[in-house]
Amino acid sequence: MTSAVVGSNLLGDLLSRPRPAEWASLREAAERRLAGRELPTTSDEDWKYTDLKALAELSSGPALKAAVDISSYLLPEMVGTRQVFVNGHHAPHASCSSAVPAGVRFFPMSTASEACHALGTVGEGAARDLFEELNTARFVDGAVILVPKNLKVALPLHLLFITKAEAPTVVFPRVLIVLERGAELELVEEHHGEGAYLSCPVVEIRVAEGAILHHERVQREDPEAFHLGTLKAEVAKGGQYHSRTLTFGARLSRQQPWVRLAEGAGTTLDGLALLDGHQVADTHSFILHAEPHGTSHQLHKCIVDGRARAIFNGQIRVAPYAQGTDAKQQSRNLLLSESARVDTKPQLEIDADDVKCSHGATVGALDPEELFYLQSRGLNADDARNLLTYGFAADVLTHIPVASLRRTLRHLVMARTQADSLGDLS
Amino acid sequence: MLSIKNLTASINGTPVLKGINLEIKAGEIHAIMGPNGSGKSTLGKVLAGHPSYEVTGGEVLFEGKNLFDLEPDARARAGIFMGFQHPIEVPGVSNASFLRLAYNKKAEAEGREELDPLEFDDFIHEKIKLVAMKEEFLDRSLNEGFSGGEKKRNEILQMAVLEPKLAILDELDSGLDIDALRVLGEAVNNLQQPDRALLIITHFPRILETIQPQFVHVLSGGRILKSAGKELALELEDRGYDWVLEEAAAGGAR
Ligand SMILES: Nc1ncnc2c1ncn2[C@@H]1O[C@H](COP(=O)(O)OP(=O)(O)OP(=O)(O)O)[C@@H](O)[C@H]1O
Ligand SMILES: [Mg+2]
Repeated sequence: MTSAVVGSNLLGDLLSRPRPAEWASLREAAERRLAGRELPTTSDEDWKYTDLKALAELSSGPALKAAVDISSYLLPEMVGTRQVFVNGHHAPHASCSSAVPAGVRFFPMSTASEACHALGTVGEGAARDLFEELNTARFVDGAVILVPKNLKVALPLHLLFITKAEAPTVVFPRVLIVLERGAELELVEEHHGEGAYLSCPVVEIRVAEGAILHHERVQREDPEAFHLGTLKAEVAKGGQYHSRTLTFGARLSRQQPWVRLAEGAGTTLDGLALLDGHQVADTHSFILHAEPHGTSHQLHKCIVDGRARAIFNGQIRVAPYAQGTDAKQQSRNLLLSESARVDTKPQLEIDADDVKCSHGATVGALDPEELFYLQSRGLNADDARNLLTYGFAADVLTHIPVASLRRTLRHLVMARTQADSLGDLS
Repeated sequence: MLSIKNLTASINGTPVLKGINLEIKAGEIHAIMGPNGSGKSTLGKVLAGHPSYEVTGGEVLFEGKNLFDLEPDARARAGIFMGFQHPIEVPGVSNASFLRLAYNKKAEAEGREELDPLEFDDFIHEKIKLVAMKEEFLDRSLNEGFSGGEKKRNEILQMAVLEPKLAILDELDSGLDIDALRVLGEAVNNLQQPDRALLIITHFPRILETIQPQFVHVLSGGRILKSAGKELALELEDRGYDWVLEEAAAGGAR
């Protein structure tokens, strides 16, 4: 297929960036593992449908500090609980932590490196993707969130990663979240940008016993950008990790969530991708039921228009002694054009016998019964189609706990599904 | 108002309606009863314009106009409403915004003023009282996760919002508890006016005690075999359908 040399300049360019001083041993280890590695090609089974050829054309200049106007990204519930990073650098003037409840630590890593001892330790046994290694080797700064024992954080926290690429560049957002026993938190993580760039975020999460994290993830990169992200979460006994990943931007994006569930732990890993033009959005998820009585629910929805392409590969592994596991996975895809394409594949490996596992995938057009129902109430065929398309997507947004974010995203979905002529549906 | 002449229709090449004749005038209430699979829902769906059914013969005039010239949405805007036997779930679309949209499309078509969300709020709060629906159902997705009875209640709420000239209610009563049956029956009665008409499809005479029809028709094998006054409903409950079929067969043989 594509030549192995493709993109090797990119890797070289990135590694020739100066190595930041903090976490030297972590970075050296990543560099050692990177030695000799090349960008994946479509002959790698894991990258079969996601061609990174175009990445090779991206030259990587330095990721410089830049000033941005963030007013359009602010959400009222979180104006005093936000940390902003621009081109991988912390932006102190754009950030504000005046309303962060006492006890919660929500800092740029550069100012709290001593608090980051969990960095690089989440999901240690799991395979490390090339872009994750690159991030570890060269990330400049990132956010750390520490919530102490039994603290239920009343306000949601807002993490904004903004890329402003005057010239093509690569940025490495980094996040470490540690919830101690019984802690509870809602977090909104957003990625925005302008220009041609590659963003490779890595998010590490530790949810201790009985702790609960609700995590909204919004990807609204520039239409010329690439976004290749990794998330690793370890959920201890009885803990819960609930996330919703919403993909709107980037010409090519990939989300690789990896979640390990201990006894009685639970996760929801929902996703929505709204694609058109030549966009490619790939989700490769992995849920490991390592111990008994874990619960995982996964609903992944894609609306694919134009010549866009969605890929979903949902791996669920149930370890031999993980009895009483309850795993549900659904991949639902709406194709809006003849040239749109979806490749969806569940991958269940179940080594325990007393488990409840179900999965399903649908790829298709709108349901004619639903269309008729709406038409029979007086909506013309176009309006009915647009309303159903909107509903298909908005379904994933219904339970977003932060009202202003829910509203913003509903409006975005309305505009993208031509439902905005139907009045305010939010 | 509605004039059905010799209507035949089929689905997937199978004839289901085999020559229906029915006249419904403004102010009238008609009931259709008949065995499972006899074509009752099919008749409703053909009138509402379901695309899976093929009309193979006959004609239907609604207020003097050929119904089959109109798309389903145009029929709805012209004043036809079908309450579904099995209402459809639409995730992601809130009940309130759907109702407002449906109301405004109709208002627009009739040259009346559309309601903004706040005005509609007041309007819909009066309507939900009529069907004794809890407010929380407005914020939920349209019919999603509603119980069978809740869906039927929502159908009548839609009817109350749209105020159709002709409402075809397909098994409104199945799945309803006794109180809901009374409340919704009365709501339908309240909506009935001299310039409107109702076609009630049911298996049970009970609902016809609240919504009292002047005419009861027996539909079987895609034909109306017998039409009489409302006392026919009770007779059917006592005696079943066999005697009607036999009578019709004898009549046909004569
Ligand atoms: N898609 C289809 N393909 C083939 N036959 C169909 C299809 N849909 C309906 N039918 C048939 O059409 C006939 C009439 O169905 P219809 O739903 O109108 O009956 P009904 O009188 O409403 O019955 P019930 O009292 O059970 O609601 C039935 O025999 C049914 O099996
Ligand atoms: Mg029926």
